[in-house]
Amino acid sequence: MAPFPVQGITEGDFVVVLALVDSEQPMSEVAQAIAYHGVGKRVAAQDRPLRVRYQGDLLPDDATIETAGIAPMDVLEAVYA
Amino acid sequence: MPRLPRSEWYDLTRDMNWDLSYITEDEAFPPQLSNSFGVPAHDWWAWDEPYKITYSEYVHNQAGKDAGVYSVNNVLNRSDIWDNLEPGWRAAVIAHYGAIAVAEYQAGIGEARMARFGRAAAWRNMATFGTLDETRHGQLQTYIPYQALAKEPKFDWAHKAYHTNEWGVIAARHLFDDMFLANDAVSMAIQLTFTFETGFTNLQFLGMAADAMKAGDFDFGALISSIQTDEARHAQQGEPTIKVLTKAGKADVAQDLLDRMFWRAWKLFALLTGFSMDYYTPLENRTHSFKEFMDEFINKQFIDQFRDFGLEKPWYWDQLLNEMNWTHHAYHLGVYFWRPTVWWNPVAGVGPAEREWLEEKYPGWNASFGKYWDTMGQNVRDGHPELTLPETFPVVCNSCQLPVCTPAGYAAGYLESPLPYVVEYNGRKYTFCSEPCKWVFEMQPETFAGHLSIIDRLLSGWIQPPDIPGALAYMGLSPEECGVDGTDYDWAGPVPPATKSA
Repeated sequence: MAPFPVQGITEGDFVVVLALVDSEQPMSEVAQAIAYHGVGKRVAAQDRPLRVRYQGDLLPDDATIETAGIAPMDVLEAVYA
Repeated sequence: MPRLPRSEWYDLTRDMNWDLSYITEDEAFPPQLSNSFGVPAHDWWAWDEPYKITYSEYVHNQAGKDAGVYSVNNVLNRSDIWDNLEPGWRAAVIAHYGAIAVAEYQAGIGEARMARFGRAAAWRNMATFGTLDETRHGQLQTYIPYQALAKEPKFDWAHKAYHTNEWGVIAARHLFDDMFLANDAVSMAIQLTFTFETGFTNLQFLGMAADAMKAGDFDFGALISSIQTDEARHAQQGEPTIKVLTKAGKADVAQDLLDRMFWRAWKLFALLTGFSMDYYTPLENRTHSFKEFMDEFINKQFIDQFRDFGLEKPWYWDQLLNEMNWTHHAYHLGVYFWRPTVWWNPVAGVGPAEREWLEEKYPGWNASFGKYWDTMGQNVRDGHPELTLPETFPVVCNSCQLPVCTPAGYAAGYLESPLPYVVEYNGRKYTFCSEPCKWVFEMQPETFAGHLSIIDRLLSGWIQPPDIPGALAYMGLSPEECGVDGTDYDWAGPVPPATKSA
């Protein structure tokens, strides 16, 4: 378990933000950690689950930073799927 | 006593050029300080400024200008004009002083480098006046806010800003170090005086002086007008420099220097002038939108000058036109949301009438950028202003050092992807907000690779604790100095009393 910095984009938001996630968190939680900085603040919440998109592909909800091979400051998108 | 007309003696007394025999050309003009780009020494002696002035004329003119500005300031500083200006205009002026005053002194250092390492006596003569000009501008723009400190404590940042690591100042320093403080004389003549001053600030200062008068800020208007007259003169060092390079078959050198700096200047211009024109200037005082100003004055004039010198539009011209639709809206939104990190009090500038104007000037604004303000306005009305304040940081571009707002361009329909540009160089990851910013870096990686952005510094442990309060302290912002909403949330409509600061 270690804090892990990524560049996060919340779907519909205007800016790339620094998001600190946990290296062993499942992607379902990583998506929430990224979206925390945009949804309800600048982007209206949607009643749909959030997922993580990485290099163009949606990652499985149970994948982790480690299993997905994500490097520090890689760009992750939190998108409504 | 008969006097010769100036035209009969000017060139003779000015042209103190001579061949070197005791030392080499490179010893007298080291390439780091005066890159000739291979143009022979004698070819530079054809350098001829379009606007000529003698030292006695210069001193006479400048004394008159100074007398005008200082006497206006002396009178108006005793009035209550400042207190009665609109909050948005006050924010624009406070932001301006912090971003520009000390940079003027730095420009004086750049001019002094051209006064010593310029390749022709005529040029060195012109740059000597430029040195005195920029010193005057630095003095004026620190003196006038200093005089008004009792009315506006934030004017302290006119002098303080460049001595801090505030994020906007890091961006400005990164640009200005590249443009003049750490630049060679020949490159500087093209990048500072032609690209930045002729291309941007000369016209911007004309517009800003007119806007100041309309807004009732006669003190600032007199100051900016006075500065602009100097800029119009010393900015002309670029034109003869380009002519010498072009005649020597080095037009590609001029084109490259110009292309790189025009983009860099655009980014900072989009930040500071973008929010000033489209959000901070009171609606009734606006004569044009930022995009209209760019279209009608900056771009048109710039293209005309390119053609005059046989140069081409930069390769990224379409991307520039694209960014003019959305970039400064995103920067304004970011400055407002991260308002504790700036030294002025940002206004939202998105009340009903302002939004109508924005929609007229930028069709689709309400559907794209208005929706962010809808969510923030609802949070304020619901009594949750804390939701309009940051808990993390925007990622900033490793070239322009400004927030990476590619998602805004994508959400507004102007970009095909929200993703930033990421490059690995010598094992380190660099993020860029645009293709031209990536290109600027890749043209000179050895110059830029060692720089740490504010986010790199956070991740490298320079900022402790690594959170918002730690970052504010690192940026030199005490709690009393952090920016707050300039209108106390008036833009959001009816707000619970507890949300108001007073």
